[in-house]
Amino acid sequence: MSNPYRVISASITEVIQESPLIRTLKLLPEEPIVFKTGQFVELSIPNIGEGPFTPSSSHYISDRMDITIMKTGFVTDYVHRAQVGDTVGLRGPYGSHYPLEKFDGKDVLILGGGCGLAPLRSLFLTLLHDVDRYKSITFFAGAKSPQDCIYKDQVSGWRQFPTVRFVRSVDAVPEGQEWNEDVGLVTKLLANLDIDPKTNPAIVCGPPLMMKFGTLELLKNGFKESNIYLSMEKKMYCGFGQCRHCVMGPYYACKDGPVFTYESIKNEEGIWE
Amino acid sequence: MIVKADALFSFLTRCAKEELSPYSQVFFPLRPTTHPDTLVLSDNPDLGTLEIDSYRPVDPVKLLLYSVRERVYPEIRNVPERLIVGVKACDLRAVEVLDRAMINDDFTDPSYAAWRKATTLVSCDCTATAPTCHCTLVDGKPYAESGFDANLSRLGDEFLLTATTEKGKAFVQALQDFTSLAAATRESKIEVTKNREQMIQQVDRQNADLKRSRDYTAMRKVKEQPWEIESKECVGCGACTHICPTCYCLILNDESQGKRFVKVRSYDSCQWNGYARVAGGGTPRPKMTERFRNRYLCKFDYMPSNFDRLGCTGCGRCTDACPAKIDFRSAVQMILKAGTLEQTR
Ligand SMILES: Cc1cc2nc3c(=O)[nH]c(=O)nc-3n(C[C@H](O)[C@H](O)[C@H](O)COP(=O)(O)OP(=O)(O)OC[C@H]3O[C@@H](n4cnc5c(N)ncnc54)[C@H](O)[C@@H]3O)c2cc1C
Ligand code: SF4
Ligand code: SF4
Repeated sequence: MSNPYRVISASITEVIQESPLIRTLKLLPEEPIVFKTGQFVELSIPNIGEGPFTPSSSHYISDRMDITIMKTGFVTDYVHRAQVGDTVGLRGPYGSHYPLEKFDGKDVLILGGGCGLAPLRSLFLTLLHDVDRYKSITFFAGAKSPQDCIYKDQVSGWRQFPTVRFVRSVDAVPEGQEWNEDVGLVTKLLANLDIDPKTNPAIVCGPPLMMKFGTLELLKNGFKESNIYLSMEKKMYCGFGQCRHCVMGPYYACKDGPVFTYESIKNEEGIWE
Repeated sequence: MIVKADALFSFLTRCAKEELSPYSQVFFPLRPTTHPDTLVLSDNPDLGTLEIDSYRPVDPVKLLLYSVRERVYPEIRNVPERLIVGVKACDLRAVEVLDRAMINDDFTDPSYAAWRKATTLVSCDCTATAPTCHCTLVDGKPYAESGFDANLSRLGDEFLLTATTEKGKAFVQALQDFTSLAAATRESKIEVTKNREQMIQQVDRQNADLKRSRDYTAMRKVKEQPWEIESKECVGCGACTHICPTCYCLILNDESQGKRFVKVRSYDSCQWNGYARVAGGGTPRPKMTERFRNRYLCKFDYMPSNFDRLGCTGCGRCTDACPAKIDFRSAVQMILKAGTLEQTR
């Protein structure tokens, strides 16, 4: 069996500073990395450390990869100092993916905030690849403030698709920043949803509190537990079920997840922490 | 087969001193001259007296198959042929758990697999107990029934030797090249059975005030207070998890130089505060009580559901290692009792 820790070297071809704390690295791996949207990789800064990150690019592209990373601590601080031409390591892909076949012919709802938008953009771009397979795609994206919004340069392009609804909401608009879209917690957008909650899927990713309240709100709206897909963020080292850090009862967030239905994990402890 | 104790010990000693060469490394339980109250796993016969029967040494076999720190990428190669003699049944059960955790359908830890492949495990029936031994409380026995390459059972100044695998047969052959072995007699087998029965009773006797349990499902439901009582003295040092033969949680470090990627794993402990901390500082188990509880649930709930095996072998090492003098056996009993009380309430 091949070494599960195998590292593929990749070089940074472009850095997009999406917001003060979030940047997207455009990577060129030495060999293609085939993944399914929702899966994650371990990205390492040589001799510094590594962490789990989800590609934010479509899974139809395997010879290049975008990864969108928020600066939150030790390793990500180095990620934010990296420059075009630098080498990083990639391991993976690991974990479960979004079950696209279940979204066929549906009104797909995507709900996310902060850096949770990274895996969701991968899903979104993957869905756009065969946009006609889905009845509609609604993407509710949240950010703290206008300057924290990411993927700014792509939004208008996404809004061209007739069956796509891309709505942004910011928690607040600080003085001096300009904004003419929604204001308020992103979960508030669910109030004026016009898709049938009983039969359609909702995919949620974001900070723990947003995931929690987003899920509760969806349930209140009538979405089925088995149709709510969550991307769980747990501490993990290995990525494939060895290191045990991400154990949630009988499940491993890395191997059985990161994509879970709410139904499958609702009884486990500490899922929102 | 029957082998004389003297001959076996001199075989092991000479292998260890590299005067004989079937194995590059030989480890055995030994009573150090400087610390005569403990048994350690050693490869240096000069440090004390070989004592391969008695009871389990301080060091679990885990330490030799799954090192405290080891490179996993690129994988290690050419590990030396290694013989471990005097492995106890509890440690073999632990190896069974590690095997399932490390070599399975999803992945193989390359370094563990390399050591495992290069190692011959020769077990030996226990002839004594450490005060904390409690294998029979957790469905174990003080002698091995499976998982070994060869097994030894002490009979006075001889050992009854059985080999089950190719590696075990190679061990017997190496021994035979060194000394003559006699055929096993019916009497010797009967005596081994009798000794084993007696050892079961001895372990049972020293835990007579504890109840055996087969159902640990209630543990998860026990409220916070009983856990708080049991964990009151815990300082969260992690000694219990490091010494536990089935604990294998790891930290992965990146020690790459430029494009030469290197990944090294080392032991972590779920008793440490940073263990499950995610970016931003959140952790599912901020309180010591919660981390303490996690170890118990891991042994009796999570590992059984992952590997179909209890995570506790009853070796008692965690109790010996604990600076707060927390007796794992009694803590488990108190928690189970609280669970039963809650259920009947
Ligand atoms: C499945 C999954 C997908 C994710 N996808 C994304 C994504 O697409 N984008 C994104 O921005 N984030 C993503 N995250 C979160 C991301 O992994 C973390 O933000 C990142 O690992 C934080 O690393 P840090 O070292 O900067 O943070 P810190 O807060 O410094 O550290 C996080 C943890 O790592 C430990 N740690 C820190 N330094 C070291 C070291 N040198 N050696 C060992 N341990 C250390 C800390 O103790 C802490 O437990 C994802 C997480 C998961 C689980
Ligand atoms: S939990 Fe304690 S008694 Fe059980 S196997 Fe681990 S160290 Fe031994
Ligand atoms: S050895 Fe004792 S004090 Fe240390 S973490 Fe384990 S139970 Fe707590």
